[in-house]
Amino acid sequence: PSVQSNPSRNAILVSHRQKGNPLLKHIRNVRWAFADVACDYLLGQSSCALYLSLRYHLLHPDYLYYRIKELQKNYKLRVVLCHVDVEDVVKPLLEVTKTALLHDCTLLCAWSLEECGRYLETIKMYENKPADLIQGQMDTDYSSRLNHSLTSVRHVNKTDVVTLGSTFGSLSNIMDASMEDLARCPGIGERKVKRLHDTFHEPFKRVV
Amino acid sequence: MVQFHEHIITDLLEDPTGGLVILFSGLSLAKLLSSLLSLHSPSQGTLLILSPPPTLKSLIFHHHHISQNPIEITEITSDLPSHHRLSLYSSGQICFITPRILIVDLLSNKIPTSSLAGLILLNAHSLSETSTEAFIVRILKYSTQSRNQNNSNVFYIRAFSDRPQAMVSGFCKTERLMKCLFIKKLHLWPRFQVYVSQELEKDPPEVVDVRVPMSKYMVGIQKAIVEVMDACLKEMRKSNKVDVEDLTVENGLFKSFDEIVRRQLDPIWHTLGKKTKQLVSDLKTLRKLLDYLVRYDAVSFLKYLDTLRVSESFWSVWIFAESSYKIFDYAKKRVFRLARSKDVKLNEQSKTKAGRKRKSKSDHSNEGEADGTSPLTTSSGVVLEEVLEEAPKWKVLCEILEEIEKERQKQALSGEEDEVESEGVDNGIVLVACKDERSCMQLEDCIRHGPQKVLQEEWKKYLLSKVELRGLRTPEKKKAKLKPKQPKGFGILDGVVPVKTVQSAEASSTNKQEHDAFLAAASKIRNPNKREQVAEDEPQPLAGSRSKGARVEGKGRKKRGQANGKNSGSKDNDSNIDVVIKDLPEISGSKNESQTVENNQAAIDGYCEAYFEHASVVKRVCQRHAQEPDLTGSKNAKPIPPMHFYALESDQPILDILKPSVIIVYHPDMMFVREIEVYKAENPSKKLKVYFLFYEDSTEVQKFEASIRRENGAFESLIRQKSLMMIPVDQNEQCLGLNGSIDPLASSSQNSTRKAGGRKEIEKEMQVIVDMREFMSSLPNVLHQKGMRIIPVTLEVGDYILSPLICVERKSIQDLFMSFTSGRLFNQVETMVRYYRIPVLLIEFSQDKSFSFQSASDIGDDVTPNSIISKLSLLALHFPRLRIIWSRSLHATAEIFALLKANQDEPDEVKAIRVGVPSEDGIVENDVRAENYNTSAVEFLRRLPGVTDSNYRAIMDGCKSLAELALLPVEKLAELMGGQKAARTLRDFLHAKYPTLL
Repeated sequence: PSVQSNPSRNAILVSHRQKGNPLLKHIRNVRWAFADVACDYLLGQSSCALYLSLRYHLLHPDYLYYRIKELQKNYKLRVVLCHVDVEDVVKPLLEVTKTALLHDCTLLCAWSLEECGRYLETIKMYENKPADLIQGQMDTDYSSRLNHSLTSVRHVNKTDVVTLGSTFGSLSNIMDASMEDLARCPGIGERKVKRLHDTFHEPFKRVV
Repeated sequence: MVQFHEHIITDLLEDPTGGLVILFSGLSLAKLLSSLLSLHSPSQGTLLILSPPPTLKSLIFHHHHISQNPIEITEITSDLPSHHRLSLYSSGQICFITPRILIVDLLSNKIPTSSLAGLILLNAHSLSETSTEAFIVRILKYSTQSRNQNNSNVFYIRAFSDRPQAMVSGFCKTERLMKCLFIKKLHLWPRFQVYVSQELEKDPPEVVDVRVPMSKYMVGIQKAIVEVMDACLKEMRKSNKVDVEDLTVENGLFKSFDEIVRRQLDPIWHTLGKKTKQLVSDLKTLRKLLDYLVRYDAVSFLKYLDTLRVSESFWSVWIFAESSYKIFDYAKKRVFRLARSKDVKLNEQSKTKAGRKRKSKSDHSNEGEADGTSPLTTSSGVVLEEVLEEAPKWKVLCEILEEIEKERQKQALSGEEDEVESEGVDNGIVLVACKDERSCMQLEDCIRHGPQKVLQEEWKKYLLSKVELRGLRTPEKKKAKLKPKQPKGFGILDGVVPVKTVQSAEASSTNKQEHDAFLAAASKIRNPNKREQVAEDEPQPLAGSRSKGARVEGKGRKKRGQANGKNSGSKDNDSNIDVVIKDLPEISGSKNESQTVENNQAAIDGYCEAYFEHASVVKRVCQRHAQEPDLTGSKNAKPIPPMHFYALESDQPILDILKPSVIIVYHPDMMFVREIEVYKAENPSKKLKVYFLFYEDSTEVQKFEASIRRENGAFESLIRQKSLMMIPVDQNEQCLGLNGSIDPLASSSQNSTRKAGGRKEIEKEMQVIVDMREFMSSLPNVLHQKGMRIIPVTLEVGDYILSPLICVERKSIQDLFMSFTSGRLFNQVETMVRYYRIPVLLIEFSQDKSFSFQSASDIGDDVTPNSIISKLSLLALHFPRLRIIWSRSLHATAEIFALLKANQDEPDEVKAIRVGVPSEDGIVENDVRAENYNTSAVEFLRRLPGVTDSNYRAIMDGCKSLAELALLPVEKLAELMGGQKAARTLRDFLHAKYPTLL
């Protein structure tokens, strides 16, 4: 933990309310410091988080509502970090979901303190990260791409991709293969043969 | 028709409201059904059959077609315009229909339910309370309720299943199923039922059980695989996540083992470590290997192992297990071995010994020297020596065939009158039943060309696939080849060669000598390939002599002439037609060898007509597998009877069409055995001999025997369940009549005000707009149970529209992970955010799986980009307006939806449809757009490099199918894709040479 008097911009600012929360032990990859903030955790210029244990919610069902109200409209991203620490989860989670959704909060569920801590760390660390990671940029080498396309056909697995590739030599040859040729490949059964063949030879648009 | 068929039908018809029939597998469900359908009359109303799998459907068509009074069966597809569908619903015909179309039409009130007679379900075992089928039944029952009360022309529901094992898989599955289908009567028809066994055992076929010993290496491999399985299981026990008792190698042999493990692990699946998950998939792989060991020839098996080695992730446990080494080693030894190149020289000197080796080998090394390059074989000091072990069953099969033929001839000689008598019945057709099409083709080749020839072909293909062909073409490339780690030159995008961990591991472990020897062998094969076409005969005597004279029939059956079935395109086609014509007279029941040509022709014509009329289904199969008897008269060839090959996978009514008199079950399968029994019972006057080919002491035998045990066990348990079942007699009245509720199975919630779906509520009815594609899931069903009105439409944005403001994208856990990886989720959220005030991502966990992503111990110490936590955080950061709902189960989702809708306006159907549709598309077409696309092809297309969200529609407009796309010239592509660069990227990808395995 950094020195309290020097709250760096790269640290998570933690509300004094959170003192004694064992969750703090699990924030290890990012520095954090206590500060006077309305939210529980200030994660960036415009993002913050409230911590809520479901067990606590069962005892104090109104707590979350008042905390959210306190936040006012100062933040773009308002996370409700919900620690799922009860067995019978449906009812309390339903209430939390409703409160969060109707009051413009993003609900994130975590099942352990480690996971809670990791969410806080990650949101802080990724503050300015572009979205590439979730935009589907994948490996661009030939095998990955071939895997990516061929495994979109149901039941076709990576082993089959290797079999098809080494048998026919190129994707265009695979696409041109007859049912019989496909059936000769070890590991490719009737079902896969049919699916592959249909995918390649049936027209994109069915005639209406 | 066998008698117990009639029993089954009469029993079923006793109850006018329907029933559930569970049959032993192998009793043709299609046949039973066609008899049932022939009792339907249009005056009763329209009979709907929820679409069975395509093979079953075509079987039903087939049987129905040849039955006495065929009533027309129509198929209702989404291609039919809605008014057309409407007229079919009220036509009184029998219609096949998919659940998705039926539910959508029901929900949009397009079906006059009063004109329906009943509903037939053919896959009872795969249904559950939440499946669409149950949804359909509920709605239908409700809307035909008044009719049922008057007891006039009751709407019936009849469900069938021929998978008793699947019916006992869950807790009280059958009982729950019957309740949700509103079925009162359960009919069980096990094989040991009195009527059944009496009839089937009255005059059983003659059975010959042949136990074939496996070769030394096969036994070794099997033992090694079992050892590795054992090791994996031990490892799994250590994880303390599963009940140890069920985890035995014995159990591991069966597919049901997966179920056992999955059922135990599913609830905690997301909390499992990588290793445990890997173990589960390893066990599956190993079981497959055991199966392939007895099914595939030595070369194919080795090839499969090679592909496994390349594709298995480096997490794979089994590949590094100690005994796995043996699997690979023995598999290799069955195919080739490495020898000192000294032998080559020896061979050159003494031709007598050359029988072990191909002559061309020494030829080649001479050539190499002449070229001036250093001969590959000697440089490495070793050569590949082919072993090419034959599958032991091949030989036995040949012997059996000979035996059959001998017997046949003896019979023909001994008793002319006998012959006359049996003429009509016994056509002498031999049917060989294998598991898959592949084995069929191979066995056929095997018998026609001899086992060694087949193996040679496989071996050649294997070598060629291992070695980069182009690399061998020119001397410089050859030189490059000597450096095995040549980084570029595979001609792939950017010249990147993926060197995976496993691959490189392999490269280092495979010794360099072997590598070189492979190259040598392959280059040699390539050259003879050319020569072969000039002198086809050359390799054959060699192949023959390699079999060391022990395999007389192998030598004998060898055919002259070009035998490569694959490469000789047009010629082969001709001979195929030949095959059929030559074969047909045999089929038609004549055994007279000296038949005149004219007779032949007449027989053919006569037969052909009948044949094509009735058997269009199997035409393909028969043509393909019609075996040419050795008519060419090569002197040393032993005669073999006319025979057909049949792939069990293909599910054709082969027995009824061919009426074979001898059946060789090459791959034993319980279901087929039952089919044979039934066939025999149907044709009691026919002599039938059945050969079973088992590998002795193999897992094949174990599996077969256990499958019978398991089925009987399942029936016993069903019988017990039936005696304890609590099905109210007046189920209908109770469920539908008295309280008007259509929701007897509602979730445990006490939220009863929302229950009564169809009943007029005091509060207004809630509406949810649901995307058509969502009817694959059970959520619409559950929402409807909760009393919401479901409006099915095609949505461009979102899956569920709850109000003008709230749009929900639903993701199951698996979907969530996948669509994060593909980037689809990002796009979906982006559009939702654009068009709706409250965009919602619904993360839906499954009731019977754990409610968490991972256990605390799996979280790790660092923030890693691939963890789901990172991805969700990033999503939240980029779309702060996105709301996330975490739902424990379907029912929880329904509750959340109801709660969210409480203070919102109802959604507007017309507006919802228009959201996000590209404006140039103009007016939205009729409701079923999603159905009009070959979705699998579209998905595939969108994953190809160069194809983007903006150009894929244009591509689909510009060419018909993927196969056509592969042929388009680059200019045309550029035109469709809107750019040279994209077009070239795509083209290069399509035609890139696949990197070789070596």
